[in-house]
Amino acid sequence: MDLETSRKWDKAARGYDLMNGFGPEWRWAPWKRRLFSEMSGRVLFLAIGTGQDIQFFPPGREIVGLDISARMLAAATTRAHAYDGSLELRRLDVHDLDYPDGSFDQVFTSCTFCSVPDPVGGLKAVRRVLKQGGTLGMFEHTRSRLFPFGVMLEVMTLLTRRFGPEMNRDTVTNVARAGFTNVRVEPVYLDVVKIIRAVGPG
Amino acid sequence: MERRPYFVMGDLASNLLVGALVAVATGAVVDGAWPMVLGMGVGMLLGDLIALPAAVLLTTLLGAMELMLPLMLTGMVSGMAAGMVAAGDGVGTSNGTLIGALSGVVVFTGTYALNGYVHARHRREAG
Repeated sequence: MDLETSRKWDKAARGYDLMNGFGPEWRWAPWKRRLFSEMSGRVLFLAIGTGQDIQFFPPGREIVGLDISARMLAAATTRAHAYDGSLELRRLDVHDLDYPDGSFDQVFTSCTFCSVPDPVGGLKAVRRVLKQGGTLGMFEHTRSRLFPFGVMLEVMTLLTRRFGPEMNRDTVTNVARAGFTNVRVEPVYLDVVKIIRAVGPG
Repeated sequence: MERRPYFVMGDLASNLLVGALVAVATGAVVDGAWPMVLGMGVGMLLGDLIALPAAVLLTTLLGAMELMLPLMLTGMVSGMAAGMVAAGDGVGTSNGTLIGALSGVVVFTGTYALNGYVHARHRREAG
């Protein structure tokens, strides 16, 4: 387990709900609800954090929620218990997924790969645990190709990477580099916040 | 495309407020005897210094990227505009407020239009 990343998110857990619980979650609610409504079969949800996204999960699904931070998971426990379906929480690093190949029908993420230290390696691990034809659904923020937002996100990353996410990740390219196919992108805000859908092993 | 009144009005108000705050602060710092380029540079720097903490605070109410990026841009534009004017004729509080608020409206309108364009292009490409 990457202890440095784990410690970083343990620290962030304290003020996480205060920072993100109202404005960002309400703003993104329609998009997330629509993306997560696509959940079916056995689902792996990466970086479940304090469980704010659980409110958008459709009922009756079989979901495993992972996070690298013990404090984030502790905060997520109440929300997980309230979920009307099967939701198992585990502390696990995406780089160290211990599930056999082809264990899941779908994998979902929510603002996850802005923080995974080796994004392509992490996405390859995700691809490995997907069944043949399994799908990846991501709600992510990425770098921008639009001036001046691209420059602003690069500068902001110098600050934000110390305590949280990186703002300049090229996650769409990383998904393709990890071997996913049929990568489709739907914009949420400019070319920064987006939904990425892709297909795993063929 | 964001159409919920809470967010549209919140985005507009936060850009107006930060734009005005930055322009008034720039007017107070930049002297009429300064070269215009220096005034613009100091104004831009002040703009970022004011916009960043404001964006972090307002994120809790209005969202992350949708708030932060326009607000940072408003800070820069307002600081540069106010710095340019202040280095020539000086900027009082009422003039500063006007320059800043105008910068906020321009950035707000521009980012909403750009976001609309990005979504329209996606819909067109997706068929």
